[in-house]
Amino acid sequence: MTAVSPDSGRIWTAARGPVLIGVVILFAAIVITLLRGGGEGGALDPRSFRPEGSHAVADLLEQNGVRVELTDNASSMDGATLFVTQPDLIDPDRLADLSSRAAATVLLAPATGVSRLEPETRDPGCSLAAKAGRATTGGFVYEGEERCYDSTLVRTGTVTMIGYGGIFTNRDIDEEGNAALALSLLGQHERLVWYVPSAADRSQQKSLTDLIPDGWKFGAFQLGIAAVLIALWRARRLGRVVPEPLPVVVRAAETVEGRARLYRRSHAAPHAASVLRQATRDRLAPLLGVPQGDDPSEEIARRTSRPVASVRALLDDREPVDDRGLVALAHELDVLENEVRKA
Amino acid sequence: MALTGRAGLLALIGVLVVGLLLPSWQGILVLLGVLVACVAVDLVLAAGVRRLTFSRAGATSVRTGEPCVVQLTVHNPGRRLRGVLRDAWAPSAGVVVDRVAVDVPAGGSRVLSFELRPVRRGDRVADRVTVRSHGPLGIAARQGSHVVPWTVRALPPFHSRRHLPPLLERLRELDGRRASLIRGAGTEFDSLRAYVIGDDVRSIDWRASARSTDVVVRTWRPERDRQVTIVLDTARTSAGRVDGALGGLPRLDTSMDAALLLSALASQARDQVDFLAFSHKVRASVPRATLPVLVQAMAPLEAELVEFDARGAVAEVLRRAGRRSLVVLLTSLEPSIEHGLIPLLPTVATRHHLLIASVSDPAVHAMAAGRGDLEAVYAAAAAERTLAERRRLTALLARHGVDVVDALPDDLPRALADRYLSLKAAGKL
Repeated sequence: MTAVSPDSGRIWTAARGPVLIGVVILFAAIVITLLRGGGEGGALDPRSFRPEGSHAVADLLEQNGVRVELTDNASSMDGATLFVTQPDLIDPDRLADLSSRAAATVLLAPATGVSRLEPETRDPGCSLAAKAGRATTGGFVYEGEERCYDSTLVRTGTVTMIGYGGIFTNRDIDEEGNAALALSLLGQHERLVWYVPSAADRSQQKSLTDLIPDGWKFGAFQLGIAAVLIALWRARRLGRVVPEPLPVVVRAAETVEGRARLYRRSHAAPHAASVLRQATRDRLAPLLGVPQGDDPSEEIARRTSRPVASVRALLDDREPVDDRGLVALAHELDVLENEVRKA
Repeated sequence: MALTGRAGLLALIGVLVVGLLLPSWQGILVLLGVLVACVAVDLVLAAGVRRLTFSRAGATSVRTGEPCVVQLTVHNPGRRLRGVLRDAWAPSAGVVVDRVAVDVPAGGSRVLSFELRPVRRGDRVADRVTVRSHGPLGIAARQGSHVVPWTVRALPPFHSRRHLPPLLERLRELDGRRASLIRGAGTEFDSLRAYVIGDDVRSIDWRASARSTDVVVRTWRPERDRQVTIVLDTARTSAGRVDGALGGLPRLDTSMDAALLLSALASQARDQVDFLAFSHKVRASVPRATLPVLVQAMAPLEAELVEFDARGAVAEVLRRAGRRSLVVLLTSLEPSIEHGLIPLLPTVATRHHLLIASVSDPAVHAMAAGRGDLEAVYAAAAAERTLAERRRLTALLARHGVDVVDALPDDLPRALADRYLSLKAAGKL
């Protein structure tokens, strides 16, 4: 009997390669994640203790009685300061709407600057930030009503734009007047809404399909028509499929193979041994000149100088045989037959 | 109707037009309209395929595996036809190229030739002829099929014919046409002739020598005008596929090969060959068979999944063979003949000489030699059991005076012919 379903050993042999690859990928992912440092938030996140985080600013604000609310959807902001860390990610209309509702707005490095400056320590040069004094500023240069720090900090109405976010980070907040400037910008009101734009803000932009030109859309539709026509061209057969009248043909040896499997399944070693012994006796009888059906053991023993008892034990059907003995018996019968033929 | 690649190409060019010039639904509709108009023009102007008439000529039979040509004549009563024609046959007909480009002028005809190389024996029937007639723009075509009946009979390949020259050589030796005539080669007295050195002294006819001045010997020739009845078993067991030098062939095909060699040899030896194919009824019957008639009769025979009706076959043989004849039964030595054929042997064996030829399976012999692991040894035991059964049946048949030729598929035709010659030499026909 031949089992076709695989056992556990074969399953393991087949699966260990992919499993090993999976484990390596998982391990590498864990190591990389750990090395890159975890913790909450990224740059300018008020919960982050990392150098580029902003926990220090948030902490200072809390100590000065300002309530800091971290949000990603900016719903209610009446009477609050709105601090937007990445204004470029928000739809301009929406940003205008938000800043009109807030009491004061601080935009960090919007991309509307007219030129760039390297971040460095500058003098304020205006009344707005005179109290703070020197601070680390730079980034974009803006235009507006009140300009400070070489126009990298600009206020127009209630909206303040600052070109570089260094003053809010844990790393630089203790330098010069950075902390004072940050507090003066963000602590204008009792409440601070620290707005981190989310995917929801971006989805309010135009969808991808709206941006595709009409020519492409209708061209694609026409391409579909062309594809259908080409499919019709290829699909049309030149005449029907002709079936082949196949004759009934069976492998002639199949019944013999079936019988072999039956022997094996029922462990019919005694029967198989008897058949093999009979076949050997039948083949040797004409060589030895012994009539078919007679016991040729003595004649064989005489010719091969083997003991009669051993020859008889080999050829006698009454000797018991099990599965393991059967293989050996078949071999010994072959050896015996060869000896007789040589003798 | 059918579209061509140009329709697709036109639509693809339309992609540029729509994309660059007319990016709107109207643009798409305009292009679709142009396309439909072109298709309509083509369909209207294409030559009709329904009124075409066809006729065939060429080969009606061919030896399996060899090429032959069938001609197809297309007559076009209408407009000029340009397009493609496919002459469809079943795969086993082995049509090398079944589709050709056609260009038939109005009212004219064209003869197309198709080469067939049948890969399987039997009647290979033509299926439909399909014509695709392209319009002047080549965008759309009319298509239609016609039934043009034709049958090519693939004859048995008769691979064993290469054995025929040496066998005929042996036959001539028996026949006394060669100088190496020996006494006992035949039983019919032929003539007297003068002794030459080398002749067997036992063949000297002393009475004739006494009347003559020379020493005279008798010459003998084999019997002639004997009847050989070949019975081919086309029942269940003949369907079994047995592997030989030519790949796996059913026993039936090997038996046919052997029957053809035997009948070719027997007709050269001026014996009369009767052929009978039998399963549970007569499948083919050729009295006084010659080789061309025989191969035609054999070609469409296929193995049937029924039990061989030995009683019916014996009755048929007894009815046909009036005088004593050699009955050659091409069958398979299976245990089933013990209950079917063997009880009937006394009725046949007393009147005719029966010879049974059987294809043995090399796969069984290979299994019998298998050793090494348990599976192989059990297979060997099963194979030995089968072989022992065949030996027992052979012995049983011999006891009834039946000759048995049990040989591997590659050897059977030669073995059967050799047995026939030795029977003939011994004068046992």
